[in-house]
Amino acid sequence: MSEFEKLKIVTRYELLKQFRRKRFYGVLAISLLAVVLTIGLYQGLDLPRRMGVPQSTINQHGAELFAIFVTSMGSLAILGAVFFAGDAVASEFERKTGYILFPNPVKRTTLVVGKYLACFIATAAILGVAYLISASALLVFYSQVPIGIFGSLAIALMLACFVISMAFAFSSVLKGGMGATIATLLTYMIIFSIVSSSLAYADFNPWFMPDRAGDAMTATYGIDFREAFGGMMGGGPVMSGMAQASQNPTLSFFVLLGYAVILLGVSIWMTKRREMI
Amino acid sequence: MKEIIVIDGLSKYYNGFLALDNLSLKVRENEDVALLGPNGAGKSTTLKLLCGLLYPSSGSMYINGVDVVEERERAISEVGTMLETPEFYPFFTPDETLGYLGRLRGMHGRELERRIREVIKLVGLEKWGKVRIEKFSRGMKQRLALAQALLHDPQILILDEPSLGLDPRGMVEFREIIKKAKKKKTILFASHLLTEVAKICNKVAIIDHGKLRFYDDMSRLKKKYRSLERAYLKLTEGEI
Repeated sequence: MSEFEKLKIVTRYELLKQFRRKRFYGVLAISLLAVVLTIGLYQGLDLPRRMGVPQSTINQHGAELFAIFVTSMGSLAILGAVFFAGDAVASEFERKTGYILFPNPVKRTTLVVGKYLACFIATAAILGVAYLISASALLVFYSQVPIGIFGSLAIALMLACFVISMAFAFSSVLKGGMGATIATLLTYMIIFSIVSSSLAYADFNPWFMPDRAGDAMTATYGIDFREAFGGMMGGGPVMSGMAQASQNPTLSFFVLLGYAVILLGVSIWMTKRREMI
Repeated sequence: MKEIIVIDGLSKYYNGFLALDNLSLKVRENEDVALLGPNGAGKSTTLKLLCGLLYPSSGSMYINGVDVVEERERAISEVGTMLETPEFYPFFTPDETLGYLGRLRGMHGRELERRIREVIKLVGLEKWGKVRIEKFSRGMKQRLALAQALLHDPQILILDEPSLGLDPRGMVEFREIIKKAKKKKTILFASHLLTEVAKICNKVAIIDHGKLRFYDDMSRLKKKYRSLERAYLKLTEGEI
């Protein structure tokens, strides 16, 4: 039997595992709630006008502005990916399930990649539903779906790949799944944020930072962010500069892809070396 | 008889602690060998090394002539294992768990279904095949671990404290399963239970402080030391 056949088996059963866990449905519920709430509040409170977005932008790019708000909420699902991936490798050692799984004629690379694919598919399923609801709302309220939503989904999926890779890297090094989950969240939400913001304040464009590259999921709609949001953000030119720093989507896609591949490689390498002591 | 397992000058350090010291051992086809020794003697380390779960500090291991370090997947393809206190994915049922592991070993379709039913019945879990493992006791998990070790009808069984957690009935049933299996299989099995070992195995390896102290037939051991217990106490410096 080829390793590819084994990869399909590992992915299938790992996916079944994900779908059996309560956390999958928890992340799905929170993501959908965030999307539905955003749709309701955006429309009910007429948010762009109250936020001071120029009327000309609202008239010209109403659907795109709505899409930016709604799809960025759907991307909450990406953080859910951390909970799927954090314990993927570590739990085999921590909970000793590796004593059953590893003494089988299957390469650890296959096991890690299969687990990775399962986490990605679970995250993509939630993201897909969130984007589908967003697209449906766009059709209902604006009778159109901006083409940029597909680019946004592509960036969101790539951001999910990156986050899962980072969680896998931590999971293959750290002793426990909880530690890997927390380390991933802290690194993504705090460490990256500090570095990116500091660089932006110092007038460097942090295009190479994964969190900023991820922000590009709102930059696929062809809207000039300075024009649309610059005025509403306090802090004058610095904040305006940060808004402008929403990235080039194509570049961001490849930045995230690069990080995802490297970190997955690190995870595979570490898992292969790790011993069941 | 063909040498199925060959361990040659195997040593293993854990952060500077020597757990296994230049161990050499050969197990021939259809032999059943018990690894005996006190806690920390190196029994589990030996078995984990053989299954490719640890990397040796020095030395080599071959299963069916295949180097375990160089070609782990091929070396263990004919091995069924039961190591430590086994844990399973709690969200799966035994049927699903065995389906997963069987497919990874190239089994499929009706043959796999039939074999799953067979081993589930063999270990007495017929009524539990479709119940999630999160509801299982330690003894039930131990039975399932034995089922997965036997699933692909392997030529070799590597078992570490296989009767741990079983109730007296479970231990008797386990012994009968192993006795039946050993007619066709090579068995390497680590245990603390001397009576269990005496009933199942006809060859004994006694390890202490990572070193092999004795390796021979049970009959020769009894001739030399009068009983397995005396041999164990003497060879492990009274540590029991």
